[in-house]
This record gives sequence, C-alpha cells and structure tokens, in this order.
Amino acid sequence: MTSTIQTALFIAIVGILGIFIFMIIFYLLIKGLDKWFPYKEEKPEQDFVLDEIED
Amino acid sequence: MNTLLSLADNLQTFWGYTGFHNVESGHIIMILIGLVFIYLAITKEYEPLLLIPIGFGMLIGNIPFNEAAGLQIGIYEEGSVFNILYQGVVQGWYPPLIFLGIGAMTDFSALIANPKLILIGAACQFGIFGAYIIAIQWGFAPNEAGAIGIIGGADGPTSIFTTSKLAPHLLGAVAISAYSYMALVPVIQPPFMRLLTTKKEREMKMKTPRVVSQTEKVLFPIMGLLLTAFLVPSGLPLLGMLFFGNLLKESGVTRRLAETARGPLVDTITILLGLTVGASTQATTFLRIESLKVFLIGALSFVIATITGILFVKAFNLILPKEKKINPLIGNAGVSAVPDAARISQSIGLEYNPSNYLLMHAMGPNVAGVIGSAVAAGILLGFLY
Repeated sequence: MTSTIQTALFIAIVGILGIFIFMIIFYLLIKGLDKWFPYKEEKPEQDFVLDEIED
Repeated sequence: MNTLLSLADNLQTFWGYTGFHNVESGHIIMILIGLVFIYLAITKEYEPLLLIPIGFGMLIGNIPFNEAAGLQIGIYEEGSVFNILYQGVVQGWYPPLIFLGIGAMTDFSALIANPKLILIGAACQFGIFGAYIIAIQWGFAPNEAGAIGIIGGADGPTSIFTTSKLAPHLLGAVAISAYSYMALVPVIQPPFMRLLTTKKEREMKMKTPRVVSQTEKVLFPIMGLLLTAFLVPSGLPLLGMLFFGNLLKESGVTRRLAETARGPLVDTITILLGLTVGASTQATTFLRIESLKVFLIGALSFVIATITGILFVKAFNLILPKEKKINPLIGNAGVSAVPDAARISQSIGLEYNPSNYLLMHAMGPNVAGVIGSAVAAGILLGFLY
C-alpha cells in the first residue's frame, strides 16, 4: 500500500467519523430543542375580541 | 482584378473566422451531448431547471471559433462576457447563493420531528469518501480525488464549490457529472433499493411524525450555524448561507427577504450557474480521458451512497424498538438530491403498499444529506486545500 493510499484512507476514515460525530451532536441538539421548547397548542388571539369589547 | 483579389482575401479571412472552418469533431460531439441534455429536460422532465441552462450552455461553449484571433468571446478568454459570468463558478460565489435559496425553501420539520433520521444523511456520505479512494486508486492527485469524490453527495452547488477550490481544471467534468447523475437519480437508485430490501421491509409503515413548534424551527438554523461554525469552519460558506436562508423563512418577520432568496435570487443564480457550467465544457478542454474517468467514478459514488444509506437503515433497525423502526426505502434519500431522492422512496413505497406515504419521512434524511455533503466538503477542504 502506497503512502498516498494510506493518507487517503486516513482522510476517508476521519472524514466519515467526523460527519457522524457532527450529526450525533446535531441529533442531541434537536432532542434538546424538543425537550426545552415542546409543541404547545396555540390559543387563538384574544386582542381583537378585547378591542371590540372596549369599543 | 485587384478588387476581385481583395474581395477573395476578405472572404477567405471571413471564412477563417466562421464556425464551419474551425469546427472539429469534439465540437460536434459536445453539441450533440448538449442537445441530448435539452431533449431529456424537455421530453423526460429530468431536472429541466438545470439541464436546459447546462445543455444550452454546452451549445454556446462549443460554437467553434478562431481562438487565436483574440475575439474575447470564449468562456476561457479573459475579459469576455462569459468569462466574467464564469467567475461566479471559478471563485465559488454562486454555490453559497444557491444554498441561501435552498435554505429559504427547505422545511426542516421532518428532520426536527424525527432527528435520528439525520444519521442516514451521514451514512450516505460513504459515497463521497468511497469515490475519493477510487479516484486516488485511478491515479488522480489527492486534491483532484477530493473534488471528484464530492460528486457522491449528489449536490451540484457543493460539488462546484469544492472543485473550484481543490481542482478548478476539473470543474466542467465534475459539475456536468454531478448534475447529470442528480437528474438520473430516478434511474440509478430504484434497482439497488429493490435489490437490498425485502418485500416485508418495503411495506413497513412508519409512525406519524410529531408536530414541531415554531420556536424549534426558529432556533434550528441558529444552533445549526453555531455548531457548523465551531466544528467545521470550512463548511461555513455553504452551511452558513443555508441556515441564514432558513432563518429568513422561519423567523416569520422577513417574508419578503425569504421570498426573494427562494425566488428571483435562486432563479437568477441557477441560470448563470447552469449556463456557464455548460459553456465551460468547451471541447478543447473538456474532451479528455480524465473527464470519462470522472463520469465513471461519479456513477460509482451514487451507487455507493445509495447502498450504504439502505444498509445503514437495516443495521440501525436491529437496535431500534419495533414502533420506531425505519423503512429502509428511505435510506436512499440520505443523498442531497432534494426532493427527487425522497420522491423515489415515496413512489417505490406506494408500489408495495398503496397506503404507505414515505415522502414526509424521506424528507428528513434528504435535508440531512444537504447538511452532510456540505460538512463532507468542509472536511475535504480542511485536509486538501
């Protein structure tokens, strides 16, 4: 195996590992977003109704 | 008599400038390939928004002319109109602007709702690194191999951006190869998807994704940018613009900017990019054995990406609980050909189970593929630039 191939294999292995690490961190980040900001049913805005009552 | 001789001289000079006098077989071949691109775009509707500008660009780039005359009309002649427009490709300005538009038109909800799908977008990047190794084996220099490998990400702008930095002399071949195979995704992927999955797997239904809150959608691009900037700074031009475009879309207060980014801006850049990439395939510089090798490796990279995506899902299913298993048919969608790869998952899923709608699920790995290929580009640039 030539040194060029060895270097290429090294870059490929580090590259694919790097992408997986990046994606795993991204995965944890999204999980965190879901935990900290879960979806809540949005209530209809009341301002318009209140304005009408005030009038 | 003198007048006649002078007229003959003038006619001879004029003839020397015409395409008929300067034409070579290479020009004819490239013009025919350009016509095939236009034919495929119009009749088969294979990526027409890209293949029409690229195909027409190939016609423009291969009109034969007297290159020694200094007419400043060729794309490689400094100061010509096409050369100035081509700087956006050579200097890598167009791809980040395309990414801005992609960000402004992409809904990351499918990914946020089921974040484990992001790993499929990582698995498909084996196509990039597999092609990189093959290119080295076939005698390309490491920087050239990196540029060729990126074709496996199935992402035209990323391929152009990376090649413009690593191996500008291969730009035409890499760009044409990337866009051709992106257009041919519906032809390349299905045989491998059928080959590597069982009937039972293809019929598998996935759980309906959860609803994503607006706060998550707004925070996603900001967190994504910060993560990218700190982990892979060399991917910043592409991913920075992608997340910026997405924030314009999701913030809800910059609708006009988002509409411009995903509409007129991205259309303008697509026209300029497609036309100049097509024109860069001038026969004298494009028709080489190297270009053929690039095309072959490009095809292999797409196959590797498809296979690894599907096999990764199958392996992942071994550790997932029954109710969270993933249909392996969405494994192909980890390449970043958005949304074609996801549509293929959907259409093959429907063939085997008419009530199985996989599109929403497949969009998760598909947008993850966009991020994954840009990260891979950043890593390759970090090592090889």
